[in-house]
Amino acid sequence: MAVLKTLLYLLVYPGLLFLFIYSTFAEWFDRKLYARFQNRIGPLHTGRSGILQPIADFVKLMAKEDIVPAKADKGMFTALPVFALAIVCTAAMYLPVWHFEAGTASYNSFPGDLIVVVYLLSLPTLIFFLAGWHSSNFFSTIGGVRVLTMLFGYEIPLLLAVLSPAILAGSWRIAEIAQFYQGRPVLLLPNIIGFFVAVICLQAKLERVPFDIPHAETEIVGGTFTEFSGKKLAFFRLLSDIEMVVGAGLVAAVFMGGFPGGLIWGFIYFIIKTLIVIFLLTALRAACARIRIDQMVTFSWRYLAPLAVLQLLIVIIIKGFLL
Amino acid sequence: MTDNEIINKAKETLGNIAIEITNPAPRRIFLKVDKKDLVEAVQRLKQGLDYNFLSTISGLDKGEVFEVLYHFTNEFAVLTVRTTTSRNDPKIPTITGVIPGAILYERELQDMFGLVIENIPDPRPLVLPDDWPANVYPLRKDWKYERPVEKIPGGE
Amino acid sequence: MAEFKVPIGPQHPALKEPISLRMTFEGEVIKDADMRLGYNHRGLEKLAEQKTFIQNLYLTERICGICSHSHTTCYAQGVEKLMGIEPPKRGLYIRTLVAELERVHSHLLWLGVAGHEAGFDTFFMYTWRDREVVMDILEIISGNRVHYAMNALGGVRRDIDDLQKKKILDSLDLLTKRTAYYANIGTNEPTFVARLAGVGVLPKQTAIDLCAVGPTMRASDIPRDVRKDDPYAAYAELPFEVCTANTCDVLGRTIVRIKELFECYKMIEFILKNLPAGDIRVKAPRRVKEAEVVSRYEAPRGENIHYIKSNGTDKPERLKVRAPTLANYPATLVMLKNGYIADIPLIFAAIDPCVCCAERLVAMTDYHTGETNIVRMSELRQKSIEHYKRVNPAKKEIVWPF
Repeated sequence: MAVLKTLLYLLVYPGLLFLFIYSTFAEWFDRKLYARFQNRIGPLHTGRSGILQPIADFVKLMAKEDIVPAKADKGMFTALPVFALAIVCTAAMYLPVWHFEAGTASYNSFPGDLIVVVYLLSLPTLIFFLAGWHSSNFFSTIGGVRVLTMLFGYEIPLLLAVLSPAILAGSWRIAEIAQFYQGRPVLLLPNIIGFFVAVICLQAKLERVPFDIPHAETEIVGGTFTEFSGKKLAFFRLLSDIEMVVGAGLVAAVFMGGFPGGLIWGFIYFIIKTLIVIFLLTALRAACARIRIDQMVTFSWRYLAPLAVLQLLIVIIIKGFLL
Repeated sequence: MTDNEIINKAKETLGNIAIEITNPAPRRIFLKVDKKDLVEAVQRLKQGLDYNFLSTISGLDKGEVFEVLYHFTNEFAVLTVRTTTSRNDPKIPTITGVIPGAILYERELQDMFGLVIENIPDPRPLVLPDDWPANVYPLRKDWKYERPVEKIPGGE
Repeated sequence: MAEFKVPIGPQHPALKEPISLRMTFEGEVIKDADMRLGYNHRGLEKLAEQKTFIQNLYLTERICGICSHSHTTCYAQGVEKLMGIEPPKRGLYIRTLVAELERVHSHLLWLGVAGHEAGFDTFFMYTWRDREVVMDILEIISGNRVHYAMNALGGVRRDIDDLQKKKILDSLDLLTKRTAYYANIGTNEPTFVARLAGVGVLPKQTAIDLCAVGPTMRASDIPRDVRKDDPYAAYAELPFEVCTANTCDVLGRTIVRIKELFECYKMIEFILKNLPAGDIRVKAPRRVKEAEVVSRYEAPRGENIHYIKSNGTDKPERLKVRAPTLANYPATLVMLKNGYIADIPLIFAAIDPCVCCAERLVAMTDYHTGETNIVRMSELRQKSIEHYKRVNPAKKEIVWPF
């Protein structure tokens, strides 16, 4: 029974099948909303009001010819997308939607899993850099360099922002943090600065406008993904979608009080809360232009990092009052 | 400044360099100089008459001579300076010393007419491809374009 | 930090038309830039010598899609001077109306392209949506969205009736409101302004030396505009102002274009309210006596100049076209130096490149087989790619920049 539950957890919900379906739904949501912001229609014909469009794109890319440049490293090219996808799917396991007990630690919920998720979410950035480095193409190299430069900008504010609710809740375990805030929702308010810093850093991690410098289409053709095609590109695009869902789930679990109520209610809360975060990400994408890499680094160190530190200070002071 | 004022001032500044000045239409003045005085004339026009904006350079194939027209514009009139050079020895001095923006137009003249611009800072061809045959100058009157017979693969 | 050379183009998503920029980089800073032109040659000047004056009217229109009316008007004006005929007032006014509408649609297109190059896709979608309003007006007047074919030698071909006038005036209100909104965004949205300000600086004296034209020059505080200096069509009677900015960078060019949009709306309203009655064209003779003429026009991108020489027959002896983008190329090279890679698309887009306007010389000969053929654009692209692979194999070895 437990084995069956584990298998269901890993493969169906919130495992691979659910992630695949939900991330394509999230991509549809994002594209339709982005189009509506711009007075366009967005995906329309595939499925009802275009809802199957991301799956159609994925299937189309899987069917395309897979070309690897002659000078590129074939083994790395094949391995990198698969690794990246595996990493992000693993990170999804730690979101507290189901199949965890509050008291005991298990393989998918243990003290410190907050740090594990943040770490796993930062690995795809390194993989993008390696992907750019191993394509023997100047534009990919520049894209890879920009990816790492951006990492120096947003990773620290993201970590600090995500840590603040953890400090207030007194635990490093996402399930416990969520439970703490479910019990005392008022304490979500001091974390509001951290919430916005985390959303902005999440936008940077996902490399969407205004931070899509590494694969800026009009400047460096495709950035790190220039030489990828066919199944590899399909995996990278799926990776971006799943990363969006996992990132949104992390922010929702830590800043918005998690997903209480067992299987059915937890599922509904998960959908609603992640869609709220994705809505904010899309609104940010529609309203801004792309900024340059030097401006991005200046922005994160001048505004995001101090705000995250301020958030940390607020949380520490409040914790001192509470105890 | 009216056209007549400009013509009088041009006669003053250029002295005997100007061979002929005509005014066929309002705000259009045509001035002929000899090619050895070209740079001097352009220099004097720039300083004396404030003609520092070159619109373009046109080439004309007149049979035994090539005529080159330099169109200068300012807010009063368009002053066109024309010189000629013979077909056998088609050399013209460059005016990029006076007007740096003339470089692209001079390169185009070199490509299209086969004029040799002396002391041009950048003699590369501008508009023709790199594998264009040498000594073939498309805008000369003796270069005719002929459409090749269309070959249908696998047909008759 | 080692230097390395990179080609931008001929095929690149930032360039709407093929042009080859060879840049030398040090890290992300451009140290040197060089331009290689000629990918869009179509043999127009030679072809024009073999067609009659009327056929050339249609040929010059197809020099460009966005500024097609500018080329036909410039050409028609020149030929009318050669023939010694004068179009009636109403014809001139309608010509000016279409010219200003074309300027509106071209500037809105440019705003969208600037937004797209900066990554601001929302702005791009909004401006192009409003451009549809202008395209609809042009379709009502002339029947086409591009290549309006309104000009004839001696006047215009179609007239405007009252219903069309009313429709145009209504749309003008909408456009004025929306342009005010874009002026607000263009100058206040921080991410967008951060991309535009300080980028592609062209000092005033350099602009004068290199003979830049159009908004590129007016943004460096040089108040030159052919419509004021050398009035043609109905501009002598239209009240308008020359728009300049003094920041000398891409932000200045954006401001100049937005200001020009407002001036265009005022001009269109004036034209429609004061349209004189009468004929719209006069008959033009077939043969033209021997003469030469220089005709100038202020296209949306700058000064368009045609030099036409006739020789007594019905075909021109020489047609020389200098489109505005060609005049801006030397200035672009200066602007690119000491910029960042990320600024290349914006700097290049800021001169509003219309590469097909700028290149129109003879058809190509294949050197190896000796055949002359009309080279289609796709073949020319392929040839240039192969050629550059042969000529510069060193580009395959890229030196890691750090």
